[in-house]
Amino acid sequence: MKIPVTLKVNGETYDLIIAPYRTLLDVLREEIHLTGSKKGCDAGDCGACTVLLDGKPVNACLVLAATAQDREILTIEGLARNGKLHPLQEAFVREGAVQCGFCTPGILMSLKALLDTNPAPTLEEIKIAMAGNLCRCTGYSKMFKAVESLDRSP
Amino acid sequence: MRFELLQPGSLAQALEMKKDYREGAKILAGGTDLLVLLKDGKLRAQAVMSLGRLSELNFIRSEGERGVAIGALVSHSDVAASRIIQQRCPDLAEACAQVGAAQIQNLGTLGGNLCNASPAADAAPPLLLMDALLTLASARGERRVAIHDFFLGPRRTVLEPDEILKEIFVPQPAGRRGATYLKLGRRKAMEIAIVGVGVAIHLNGSDRIVSECRIAMSSVAPTPLRARRGEAVFTNQEIRDGLIEEAAEVAAEEASPISDVRATRGYRLDMIRVLCRRAAREALARARNHKAEGWR
Ligand SMILES: Cc1cc2nc3c(=O)[nH]c(=O)nc-3n(C[C@H](O)[C@H](O)[C@H](O)COP(=O)(O)OP(=O)(O)OC[C@H]3O[C@@H](n4cnc5c(N)ncnc54)[C@H](O)[C@@H]3O)c2cc1C
Ligand code: FES
Ligand code: FES
Repeated sequence: MKIPVTLKVNGETYDLIIAPYRTLLDVLREEIHLTGSKKGCDAGDCGACTVLLDGKPVNACLVLAATAQDREILTIEGLARNGKLHPLQEAFVREGAVQCGFCTPGILMSLKALLDTNPAPTLEEIKIAMAGNLCRCTGYSKMFKAVESLDRSP
Repeated sequence: MRFELLQPGSLAQALEMKKDYREGAKILAGGTDLLVLLKDGKLRAQAVMSLGRLSELNFIRSEGERGVAIGALVSHSDVAASRIIQQRCPDLAEACAQVGAAQIQNLGTLGGNLCNASPAADAAPPLLLMDALLTLASARGERRVAIHDFFLGPRRTVLEPDEILKEIFVPQPAGRRGATYLKLGRRKAMEIAIVGVGVAIHLNGSDRIVSECRIAMSSVAPTPLRARRGEAVFTNQEIRDGLIEEAAEVAAEEASPISDVRATRGYRLDMIRVLCRRAAREALARARNHKAEGWR
């Protein structure tokens, strides 16, 4: 039986009727049509589905959409504001920190959560924040460089 | 993965539902174990009961000299970030900070880690070191179970079909104590332990006499466990050359590790000895640095 669920995503409210066993990732992608969050493993291992739930990074594939009711959900689509990319996104573009791009949305969400609480992280802190995100193209060093390039610019 | 979703708004309501559904309703805390099992088809559920709305089970409360009470729904990241836990049970904070990675630590709960009863549960060794007490609640009432009696085997605990883990109570050990938890994986994060070892050392007055030692291990037997004979090697002993090595040797004899995809039995036994020695040295250093303080 389907149930009514209200989700707050990127500041917008969505009233949905969904099966209670659907994950937040599937509902974001298939009902709300926000396909920026990716499904790599569907099991918590790859981090491609990372979104912020009340400001904290979580695997959207391990959250039931119905249990995210009334919580603030931020996806990669909500990172840019008023048509302007988030400084992290700009740094990724500048440093060429994107290869195939499949892991990028999840990684940006993990890094956004890091910078929100720790604006000038060390390399070690950046690595810890990204430990739950796999990049199959293995372009990690340019991502680290991108974050570090942010620290130096005022 | 298909099921009915129950979302009780209070513990009382949850216990009533659990009384009716019993095994029919699987409890969902952070979901980082349960949803993976359900998706894989390794587990089937008629209903899933989310505890997400039970904010009453999400607390860390100091009870002064007696100890610290932790609600079952506290996430690993909140345990690791808690000042109270960092001061009183640094090894528990260390263990929770090593579960998966940030995303898993934000979702996964302390209660879920214990109730899932994996031999590799990272939060178990520190809680075994502290003789933690678990409050199990049901519509029939509450009972307190020592963590030593909680695990029955892989994925099996003493929880009855109508019970919910409500609270984890960590008694405050007296005197000067140092403890640490070390985990060996093939990589630094996102890794289930090949071997995990926690050691706590208590000093009485002198920096050289160990009044008590405790050793707990994970991933080395069907359940996380204490190495009581290894501990006895230390008790009331003066630190001397070879003592730490001897205790590590005896602790490894108490383990019954298996060979699996992560490591062979022989490698695990070797690593128990190595981790045990390292953890004991660190615990001893911390105990020597510990200034007995009053807890508020
Ligand atoms: C990618 C990944 C990496 C991981 N890495 C680690 C790791 O490094 N170390 C580690 O120890 N674990 C690890 N885990 C396992 C898991 O994250 C932890 O065991 C976590 O603490 C489980 O908590 P949860 O709240 O998500 O449990 P859930 O999945 O919600 O529940 C787990 C089990 O406990 C039961 N349960 C939960 N809460 C209660 C309660 N209050 N009362 C009664 N029963 C209850 C559920 O019914 C279920 O059977 C990992 C998991 C994933 C997916
Ligand atoms: S799709 Fe969620 S972690 Fe891989
Ligand atoms: S850029 Fe291809 S997976 Fe990371």
